[in-house]
Amino acid sequence: MVANQSTAVSEETVPREQPEWRRLRPSSDRLRSLLGLLSPLALLLLWEAGVHLGFVDYRFFPAPTSILMETWDMLLSGELVRDMGWSLSRIFVGFFGGGFLGLIVGLSMGLFRPVRLLLRPIVSAIYPIPKLALYPLILLVFGISETAMYFTIGLGTFFMVLINTQAGVLNLDKIYLDVAKNYGASRKDYYLKIALPGALPLIFTGIELGMGMALLLIVAAEMVGADAGIGQNIWTARDTFQIEKMFVSFFLIALLGYLFAELLAAIERRIVPWKRQEG
Amino acid sequence: MADSKIVLQELTKEFKVKNGVLTAVDHVNLRVREGEFLCIVGPSGCGKTTLLRILAGLETATSGQMRIAQRNPDKPLNSMVFQDQSIFPWMSVRKNISFGLECRGVDRRTTRAVADRYIEMVGLTKFADAYPFQLSGGMKQRVSVARAFANDPEILLMDEPFAALDEQNKLLLQEELLRIWEGSNKTVVFITHSIDEALVLADRVIVMTAHPGTFKEEVEINLPRPRHIAELRQDPYFNELFAQVWEILKDEVAKAKEREGYSFHRRERSALDDESHMVM
Repeated sequence: MVANQSTAVSEETVPREQPEWRRLRPSSDRLRSLLGLLSPLALLLLWEAGVHLGFVDYRFFPAPTSILMETWDMLLSGELVRDMGWSLSRIFVGFFGGGFLGLIVGLSMGLFRPVRLLLRPIVSAIYPIPKLALYPLILLVFGISETAMYFTIGLGTFFMVLINTQAGVLNLDKIYLDVAKNYGASRKDYYLKIALPGALPLIFTGIELGMGMALLLIVAAEMVGADAGIGQNIWTARDTFQIEKMFVSFFLIALLGYLFAELLAAIERRIVPWKRQEG
Repeated sequence: MADSKIVLQELTKEFKVKNGVLTAVDHVNLRVREGEFLCIVGPSGCGKTTLLRILAGLETATSGQMRIAQRNPDKPLNSMVFQDQSIFPWMSVRKNISFGLECRGVDRRTTRAVADRYIEMVGLTKFADAYPFQLSGGMKQRVSVARAFANDPEILLMDEPFAALDEQNKLLLQEELLRIWEGSNKTVVFITHSIDEALVLADRVIVMTAHPGTFKEEVEINLPRPRHIAELRQDPYFNELFAQVWEILKDEVAKAKEREGYSFHRRERSALDDESHMVM
């Protein structure tokens, strides 16, 4: 009797579960993206209503609609595109330069113990210093210049990518190195067939953190050492009390952060297809 | 009698541990014939894996001699099939199986052809471009076996390659291994803790003692080839061999248990002591 019952139950649940699961999936996807939109929209609505009803001080928190209008004005005047162009070019030069060097040094430190022992003290000493603390010195060395900003962003990205790449290589299961040795891998094979692809998931974490670091550094650096760019725009808006402009820049940074994250995720899906993707 | 492929003389491996020296392999003498399928059976922790790692060149012996005869210097001498998951998660099935050939700089077309042949032989043609996370445990070990065969070494070293699989999968893979090997005249050193597996596969079975690992006795398995595992198991001679090997191995398993039991007993006693202190 008992055995009979349990088979009856399992026979019923298995075929029933599958179609239901298939049917639920697309609608739950839609639900998820709907829920994700709901909270920011609600916040904007509350904010707008708050300004009009006098609960929110419009001098510090101008209504979303007036920020939107300001965005339109800045777009028409070309100011928006110009500032974003400056900031983006600085981010890209610093980010790619620092990231590439960090990748090479990180792989070498992960693969070769002597390199690791040699460089580790320097890395662990300089890594925790906030790069903004070094900015005044960097300005003295390079002058108020593009180079100073490239260098600052590059420095921040360099350490993020280096440390994560090294950890990625060190975390590889030792058995993969045994296989490589037993199958006669060359030094180039260790770099390109084992260390680099094996560490890619953590390298991407490093790049993501480096990207956040680059956004943080560019804004702060531009406040002091530039005459155009998103950071400079925020600082000028404070001096001239154009709070709408300030908020436009905030949203711009948020948008950049979001776009970078999406772009990175897309690249990661393409070049790390072996990593199980999580929803 | 065929030529000796591998000769070990008084081979010893010691590891430095916290308080002294641990002897993993103790004065082992071994002669493996060219083209022989040799199984080494022993209780867990007897140094089987260490011995195989020395043969693979992944460890160096502390003392003793090892001589391996190489027929063709252009081919790899040995390839190992590991016990744990060892295929690269970042490579597709085809890339994994091509690994040895690519490291040796074999041209692309040959590599592809050889890889595809072994992919077919282990029945993974549909999964040639899949990644390991999409495969079951049995499929992963098939890739591991195919990777070793595709590299075309003179010696195959296999470290309990099927130990983690369920019974059905184990049986299937043993049959596949026999089928691929029987046409290849490669020398195989296969390590296992399963008597059954050793008898089904081997020309000769060597039983290792419990710690420290040394060779106790060997049994020639004169079963005809090609072998069919299901038929073998019904053969009275097979059962006789099983009893014979078990008789040799039994004491060693008991000894290995005793060692474990000893340390367990000590731990338990000290735990009891702690408890009695607490009560007082």
